[in-house]
Amino acid sequence: MDLLFDVNLLNATIRMVTPILLAALGASLCLRAGLFNMSLEGLLLVGAFGAVLGNYVTQNLWLAGLIAIGFSLAFSLVFGYLTIFWRANEIVVAVALNLMATGLTTFLLRSIFDVKGAFYDKDMIGLPHVDIGMLGRIPILGPMFNGQTWIVYFAFLTVILLYVYYYKTVSGFRLQAVGEHYLAAQSIGIRVRAYQFAAVLICGVLCGLAGAQLSLGQVTMFTEGMTSGRGFIALVAMMLGKSGPLGILAASLLFGFMDALSVQLQGFAIPAHITLLLPYLMTLVALFLYQLNQSKRTRRAGHRSSLNEWNT
Amino acid sequence: MNQLKTSLFSLVPALIAIVLGLLVGAVVILATGASVSEAYAAMWQGAFGSLYAFATTLGRATPIILIALAVAVGFRAGFFNLGGEGQMLLGALAGALTAIYLPGPGLLKLTAALLAGFLVGGLYALLAAWLEIRFRMNLLITTLLLNYIAIYFTGYLVREPFYDDSATGGLSQTVMIDKSAWLPKLFAGMSVHAGLLIAVLATLMLAFVFRKTVIGYELNMLGKNASFAAYGGIDRIRVMMYAMLLSGGLAGLAGTGEVLGSQYRFIEGGLTEPNYAWTGLMATLLGNSHPLGSAVAAIFLAALQTGARGMERNTDIPLEISGIIQASLILFVSVKITCSFVKRRKGKQADGSVV
Repeated sequence: MDLLFDVNLLNATIRMVTPILLAALGASLCLRAGLFNMSLEGLLLVGAFGAVLGNYVTQNLWLAGLIAIGFSLAFSLVFGYLTIFWRANEIVVAVALNLMATGLTTFLLRSIFDVKGAFYDKDMIGLPHVDIGMLGRIPILGPMFNGQTWIVYFAFLTVILLYVYYYKTVSGFRLQAVGEHYLAAQSIGIRVRAYQFAAVLICGVLCGLAGAQLSLGQVTMFTEGMTSGRGFIALVAMMLGKSGPLGILAASLLFGFMDALSVQLQGFAIPAHITLLLPYLMTLVALFLYQLNQSKRTRRAGHRSSLNEWNT
Repeated sequence: MNQLKTSLFSLVPALIAIVLGLLVGAVVILATGASVSEAYAAMWQGAFGSLYAFATTLGRATPIILIALAVAVGFRAGFFNLGGEGQMLLGALAGALTAIYLPGPGLLKLTAALLAGFLVGGLYALLAAWLEIRFRMNLLITTLLLNYIAIYFTGYLVREPFYDDSATGGLSQTVMIDKSAWLPKLFAGMSVHAGLLIAVLATLMLAFVFRKTVIGYELNMLGKNASFAAYGGIDRIRVMMYAMLLSGGLAGLAGTGEVLGSQYRFIEGGLTEPNYAWTGLMATLLGNSHPLGSAVAAIFLAALQTGARGMERNTDIPLEISGIIQASLILFVSVKITCSFVKRRKGKQADGSVV
């Protein structure tokens, strides 16, 4: 067991948690504004692709990051436009966008790089791993956080920023008012659509970064469908965290840990399929335990439709 | 006559979406620098150009039709069953194992395999329904997660306990099913098999169930207005359990049909790579969850995919373009759905039903 639970595992947890955490925070913004954003999976995928494409074309990591954000932002724009201005069903649009992401990335992989399955180029540079110097000497936490990418630190910073935004700023309260009761918010002069649109777009930015972390922060390559359900796991993390930043952080850490553990377990005599299955199974179990606990309490009333969907 | 008129009229938005989807495809083709007319001509040839091409299209459409029906059952009752993939996989594996290990004459094996596929797929869906009813675990999320669990679990089963070690090339698969238990091909040497007849039969039966039976009425009521259904004494839990059992069962049947009719064994990735499950979902959205409409849409989407293969052979355009066309189609359809949705209950708040 010494081999299994070591500092490497914790370091990997922090690395793996980042895409899930960023996407979950983005989804939280959307849900608090009253939109259930299930397109995270697609946003992550196009973000991951955009990062690799940008890296390959420009050889510049900053531009690669921007292109990653641009890709997911474009998808968010479609999501926001159709759901907010056309009142299209959030789930249908999200399903279509997820499929679009799969189709578009495989198509571009073929037509730009002329490869099937995966793209890797030896000239591509991964995101740099930051040495945090003296801070790295703190026991456990030091080695956990040392040598991560900027996106990782940004993700943890976002937790704090979002916490402050939700609970300490007027704009944050307004955003949540939009989600709580659309018409009431409108009646006191809040520009509800603008708030919703902004939430969707910021979610796109966060997912773009999350995607970049997936394809450049961990492996420096793009594989078809490389998100493999992380977007949906992020959605569960958001649910478990009751769309609050700290709760999301805790839930994401759990899933990041399972992700890292499943990689680490492959070194042992456990079949790869079983270790790959573990994060999803754990997600289900976590959801189950959460709901078990939840059903004992009285449910808060007065949420708008997308929150109500949880309770149907 | 009037009824025919209205049902034809309801086709218009789907047709508009198809035209717009093909337009998006045309733009993408132009962006790659190829000729649009050539590409679409090659696509048409690949899908319908010959009897062989058409048979391939129908063969591909077979599982898609069944999954589309599976999703349609859920939609009618007002919920999304996004777990078609997992239900299809587990059903297919159960069907394959039944056909391989059950002793007896071929016809018995075949029937038992289809039954096992239906049941196991149905039970897997029922698990998600039970989690929703009993523990209020969101159906969207559970069915999605159960997909991944089914993918890796079936992968494990055919890699370890049921691995065919005589196979060369290291594909994870079961041993071959005995020839006597195969679903026969409809035309010799072509890929369409008797599973298509099952799919057509299921389509007609479902159309009948939706229109003429009590359970069909209850399903519709629940989907259209859950509170009214409850007021009318419809037992939501019971209807939902039946609907999910049927839905998952149809998905399981889709997988079993492929295993018995074209792959003759369970191969890891053999059902997930052609993306049958999600295409089925798209067919339902396009067909407005009407059984006949969904079946036609399934054939259309299958044609798009086989056509894209033909296009790739004859032009430089990668076949993945079909994925882009399909997804944009659904985006356009999503707007249509909402328009009719808004019209139907103007000004009313959503009552918790998803569609």
